[in-house]
Amino acid sequence: MASPKTVPKDAQVMMQILKDMGITEYEPRVINQMLEFTYRYVTTIIEDAKIYSTHAKKSNVDADDIKLAIQCRVDQSFISPPPRDFLLDIARQKNQTPLPLIKPYTGPRLPPDRYCLTAPNYRLKSLQKKVSSSAGRITVPRLSVGAVSSRPSTPTLGTPSVQTVGTKVGTPVSLTGQRFTVQIPSSQAASVKSATPTTPTVQNVLINPSLIGSKNILITTNMVSQNSSGDSTSLKRKHEDEDDYDAL
Amino acid sequence: MAAVQDGPMELDAEKETKPEILSDGTSNLSGNTASGTLSSSPLTAAPAGGAPKMEDQQTLIAVLQFLKRNKLTDSVEILRREAGLGEDQEDSLATDGSGGGKGDGDGGDAHSLLSRVSITSAVAPQNMPVKRADDQPDVSVVLSAYSQQGDPSLYQVYYSGLKNFIESVLDCHRAELSQLFYPLFVHMYLELVYNNHENEAKAFFEKFSGDQECYYQDDLRVLCGLTKKEHLKGNEALLDFRTSRFVLRISRDSYQLLKRHLQERHNNQIWNIIQEHLYIDIFDGMPRSKSQIDSMSGSLAGEARREVNKAKVFYGLLKEPEIEVPLDDEDEEAENEEGKPKKKKTKKDSLGSKSKKQDPNAPQQNRIPLPELKDSDKLDKIMYMKESTKRIRLGPENLPSICFYTFLNAYQGLTAVDFTDDSSLLAGGFADSTVRVWSVTPKKLRKVKSAADLNMIDKESDDVLERIMDEKTASESKILYGHSGPVYGVSFSPDRNYLLSSSEDGTVRLWSLLTFTCLVGYKGHNYPVWDTQFSPFGYYFVSGGHDRVARLWATDHYQPLRIFAGHLADVTCTRFHPNSNYVATGSTDRTVRLWDVLNGNCVRIFTGHKGPVHSLAFSPNGKFLASGSTDGRVLLWDIGHGLMIGELKGHTDTIYALKFSRDGEILASGSMDNTVRLWDSMKAFDEVETDDFTATTGHIHLPDNSQELLLGTYHSKSTPVTHLHFTRRNLLLAAGGYNSQ
Repeated sequence: MASPKTVPKDAQVMMQILKDMGITEYEPRVINQMLEFTYRYVTTIIEDAKIYSTHAKKSNVDADDIKLAIQCRVDQSFISPPPRDFLLDIARQKNQTPLPLIKPYTGPRLPPDRYCLTAPNYRLKSLQKKVSSSAGRITVPRLSVGAVSSRPSTPTLGTPSVQTVGTKVGTPVSLTGQRFTVQIPSSQAASVKSATPTTPTVQNVLINPSLIGSKNILITTNMVSQNSSGDSTSLKRKHEDEDDYDAL
Repeated sequence: MAAVQDGPMELDAEKETKPEILSDGTSNLSGNTASGTLSSSPLTAAPAGGAPKMEDQQTLIAVLQFLKRNKLTDSVEILRREAGLGEDQEDSLATDGSGGGKGDGDGGDAHSLLSRVSITSAVAPQNMPVKRADDQPDVSVVLSAYSQQGDPSLYQVYYSGLKNFIESVLDCHRAELSQLFYPLFVHMYLELVYNNHENEAKAFFEKFSGDQECYYQDDLRVLCGLTKKEHLKGNEALLDFRTSRFVLRISRDSYQLLKRHLQERHNNQIWNIIQEHLYIDIFDGMPRSKSQIDSMSGSLAGEARREVNKAKVFYGLLKEPEIEVPLDDEDEEAENEEGKPKKKKTKKDSLGSKSKKQDPNAPQQNRIPLPELKDSDKLDKIMYMKESTKRIRLGPENLPSICFYTFLNAYQGLTAVDFTDDSSLLAGGFADSTVRVWSVTPKKLRKVKSAADLNMIDKESDDVLERIMDEKTASESKILYGHSGPVYGVSFSPDRNYLLSSSEDGTVRLWSLLTFTCLVGYKGHNYPVWDTQFSPFGYYFVSGGHDRVARLWATDHYQPLRIFAGHLADVTCTRFHPNSNYVATGSTDRTVRLWDVLNGNCVRIFTGHKGPVHSLAFSPNGKFLASGSTDGRVLLWDIGHGLMIGELKGHTDTIYALKFSRDGEILASGSMDNTVRLWDSMKAFDEVETDDFTATTGHIHLPDNSQELLLGTYHSKSTPVTHLHFTRRNLLLAAGGYNSQ
């Protein structure tokens, strides 16, 4: 761990918080993750509070706006499990029905077809081929980072990889899923950031796996436009952070 | 709870209780429940001015303001007339009132009124700024004063008073009464926080948190971070703690002492909290000693009430269906007509009971519907019996050999492991959301052929089951993709056709082990599902997760059949009883509960762990349950009597794996401290059987014999043990992910 002199102040605060909460053993990257989360959360709250205060035609943002912003976000992002009395109630209802009798000789006992996943309309291709071909593709976004001409290149980045959309849907990576679209633009390098506002269409961005070494994790993000606007996903955001840092 | 929240309802309540507002005496105020409605105390005749006490004045004025704000002028008139309040008196309090148009109340009057209030009712000055500062909830402040029962700064005095009292009683009562400290401390602290007395709350916490028992330290740390009312809102566990009643078991003598003391001091503060938030289960008999209490306490909701653990539990095993199974050891009946080679088995250990009498402790065969045995199941049973003849009898002199399967290159991502019952397949759930299945035997894993190919095989041949397999897909392991979060639980079905996996994405997935594809995703928990297990007979499975419930599913229903709700915190471990009629759940609220599958009732609550419970194991005879938790102890429970019968100390870190040997003589436990320990469960259970006294009173005297019961400690280099499994021949298999640090 870096010596206290070189550690920035908010990292020191975060270390103190972790200590106060009794967490003594953690990897050094945890502090970065916690700080990322803190920045993002506080920024979101303050932005929301600003919107509320301008709506109320106030000149300054005050504590009430912040409180309102926090309340609204809590219901949206940090969903907590249902309260106990509600659970007891639905449990009572559910437990009143007797257990259904089991029909004999029915073969595999599965729910009706529409609740099953027995008819997928896609097939997974093997991973090996993708790695070699994508390695060649990866350099494209990196070259176009500084240049303003990133725009014309992004569609080309998009098209060759479109065919992977179909096969990659069910890929081995736990890190995929809509939640990623929020993360990558803000926390990753500018290379990706420049790409986002320009492309309204579906686009896959492959992050350089060589950075990760032999792990071969391919992180694909579906940047569908409605999702890039942000936090409207219903998934819990606090889990998004941990995925980012494997790529660093 | 503040009255402001239920505004419209309050109007009616206020109108009706208006004449009864003039309560007298603090003891009546305490009767107010958290809903904030005013207590209906008898009306004391209130001639103008003098008689009503100052607190009542405050209330009256606050109520008047409330009514005014809601434009109930008639009611205002009536109230004012009856209470004999002057116009100016009430207005004087509406300093920055919203509707306080009549702001001509003299400051002098207000001051005098308030100062009188402060002197006579001993309301500390701290209350005043609170009231004047926020007029908007001034009604609620006054009303919530009732739920806080007086002065925040006096809480410390009350608590120290109780502390002094308890320290002065006889030794035998002291241990029991000391149980009061923790719940009282938490409730008083939460009340202070709830009523926005942040500074007093912090001071209270600092002064008294050090006195609490060491095993509550984690909870106290969480509490330390909660200093505002808003913090309470998101914390479900604490809200539940506040509304559910903490159970204490105290002997009658100690209870009388306590009651006498509290009532004679007119110190009804603590008495009120006790009445409202605590449930004291009184028993007749000797007061318990400190060690007895310590062993049972530690859970979030105190101990379990005695009557909770009195329901009848059918812990016996179901009879093996040997009668229907042909060619078995029914040697008097000539049922060997199936043409298979006859093997007259004389060994009858588990299957062999010829008695047709129903075990009184066993459930009826049809108590819950169970799937019928298919032919393949019958063949499995025959294999099982053959294997069990070759089983090694274990004992203190004859310890099992342990074979450790280490997962390399898992980068600490191995989160769940399971073996099939015949130990032929091994499944691992990983943090990268994959599930991998390996074949432990040299036989490779194969997928079933596609439909087109299946058409072409000869369906009548003897080895059709081999022919349907596609040789081209043979491999040592198969990877199953589908989850979108770390996989925290895996479970094979008893017939080896299905695999279940539960994950952080809130779903439980059913995979086919013939095609190695996902068949169903069961959505119900919307929060991480920490554990899942198939029933010993297949068809049913149970899952438990972060939403604090465990659910019972059947593979052919997309919704759960039973919901087991009652835990105060996440359900971390779910296990079926061998007769499939009961489900045991271990939870982060440090209790283990036993649920009846038939009607979803909780039939047993076992408290005593001091940390979240992470592993459970039923003994093969169904009578006992072992549980392991983060405090490194394994506790043994007698299901029939509902008592703790043993405590195995030795591990130094969380115990994630517990398994009984096939005949129940040895209990193996594996933990994060990289060791597997073997314990003599036979001895532990024998010592308890004879004791009837404990059954009636529920007191336990645990002998500290962990050292004698420990048969062996086996260290791995640096691999925590995630799973344990006894093969049918009593070889112990262990699994864990190599942790290079």
